[in-house]
Amino acid sequence: MSALAKTAVELRIAGSKLPAIPLPTNCPGCGVALEIEALRKHNYVCDCGHHFRLGADAWIALIADRGSWQERWGDIRSHDLLNWKVPKPYQEVVEQLLEDGLNEAVRTGTCTLAGRPIWLAAFDFRFVGGTLSIVAGERLARGMEQASSSGIPYVLVSASGGARMQEGVLALMQLAKVNAALGRMHAAGVPYFSVLTDPTFGGTAASLALLGDINIAEPGAAIGFTGPRVIKQATYADLPPGFQSAEFQLAHGQVDLVLPRTELRRLLAHLLEMYP
Amino acid sequence: MTRHGRKPEETTLSVWQVIELARHQDRPYSLDYIRRLAPDFIELHGDRLSGDDPALVGGIGTWHGRTTVFLGHQKGRSLKERVARNWGMMHPEGYRKAIRLAHHAAKFRFPIVSLIDTPGAYPGAGAEERGIAAAIAAAIMEWFRIPVPIVAAVIGEGGSGGALGMGVADRVIMLENSIYSVASPEAAASIVWRDNARKVEAAEQLQLTSRDLLAMGVVEEVVTEPKGSAHVDHDAVATALDEALHRHMQSLLTQPTEDLLQHRYERFRYIDSLVHAEPQFGPKV
Ligand SMILES: [Zn+2]
Repeated sequence: MSALAKTAVELRIAGSKLPAIPLPTNCPGCGVALEIEALRKHNYVCDCGHHFRLGADAWIALIADRGSWQERWGDIRSHDLLNWKVPKPYQEVVEQLLEDGLNEAVRTGTCTLAGRPIWLAAFDFRFVGGTLSIVAGERLARGMEQASSSGIPYVLVSASGGARMQEGVLALMQLAKVNAALGRMHAAGVPYFSVLTDPTFGGTAASLALLGDINIAEPGAAIGFTGPRVIKQATYADLPPGFQSAEFQLAHGQVDLVLPRTELRRLLAHLLEMYP
Repeated sequence: MTRHGRKPEETTLSVWQVIELARHQDRPYSLDYIRRLAPDFIELHGDRLSGDDPALVGGIGTWHGRTTVFLGHQKGRSLKERVARNWGMMHPEGYRKAIRLAHHAAKFRFPIVSLIDTPGAYPGAGAEERGIAAAIAAAIMEWFRIPVPIVAAVIGEGGSGGALGMGVADRVIMLENSIYSVASPEAAASIVWRDNARKVEAAEQLQLTSRDLLAMGVVEEVVTEPKGSAHVDHDAVATALDEALHRHMQSLLTQPTEDLLQHRYERFRYIDSLVHAEPQFGPKV
């Protein structure tokens, strides 16, 4: 990143301080005891390179200029359409998560990044595994439709297990709904930067996450369609170390860059200058 | 168990029995239909990039006097055939072949008929290495730009993203004893309980039968199968499917391209309305 670091614009406007997140006492990457405040200032990236998973609130704080975030359609809520009862009633699960302060598996809105307006959508893995639901799909599609008409660049941060089981085939249909809107956004010439974080799988990988004009993956992030457990069950294959990692996807032509989180804001700001 | 809008005689089959019919080894597969619909069918091969996926057949045939592009997941009947067809589970090459043939159809203004019958995309290492997620994603996006009418029919299993990758169409219909689901019952059980032996419970929860899908507005029509299900009379079910496909295609052929693509967009966009739908509007388990 040194070449880019030299040419990148000085960022006059900073993102916000990241929220506190639950952390283990020691880093799973290197085993060293974690210094929470130092880690937080370092975007929750350990010195060893281990990237801790972030929720949508942290992503918004990291990417949006301070005070610029305007959430859209935060009031539309998932509810149980299929009378889903196992292992817990879906309605109860959703209500509990809302009570915990989470607002769906995708949050979307507008903000600025280094002074330039963008649409930002961030998945939240804490909400039913970041699964694509009707509401998540709706927030994504509406944002893309508005980006298509305004021409404002669209930035996605994904962390998702795929389509939400508890919404059945209606969740599956979100792949089509979102990709239809994405196709229009591409046709309108709107820049679309997709940031893939750990983990991005299933219907989310098979819809919008890998269709960025530029796909940026976080180091070590697991990215794929079928999860390794299912692959092993289905094919009895021995999967090599690093299978479906960001680096694997780079080697197999699926992502453009594997970039540390600490460099992301700078890169996005630079890209926004290059794709005005 | 009660289900909305279902006639009494139709409740005699359990959800699991429907799934067994959808997977029945004597059930007609894509080529059984395509050869009846278009006896002059010529199969075309290859994605023009690296390979040909035998789990997806594609080609041209004369159907009701018009050259039509047919696509369909193909399962095999004998063990040897099943292995050769990979149980109808597509690799990335299959989705790339489908889109290549869709562009072929667009060039010559041929309508497209797509038959869906897959447990899902292939869950293997090779598929991952060659970009199965991106192949499905790109296909789903591209179908919305194909400027000719597309009618899809679920003829057996419609499993997950692997099915949807072939299922973006102007009309989607289902045979009576076919299923269409976000995940196979086995996969859903594995996700919900970490135990795929609980597939029957998962199947009942998923709401994946043709009547369920019709009630949810995901498909336009359910095509009735012969008494005893499709496998007892291939000719009869092919005739019924032909009639339904043709009826839907006729109304699409007269639409200006711009309207066609706008309606296709809206067809999948409609789910907007579900955001404000009444809770538990679907069939009750
Ligand atoms: Zn560490």
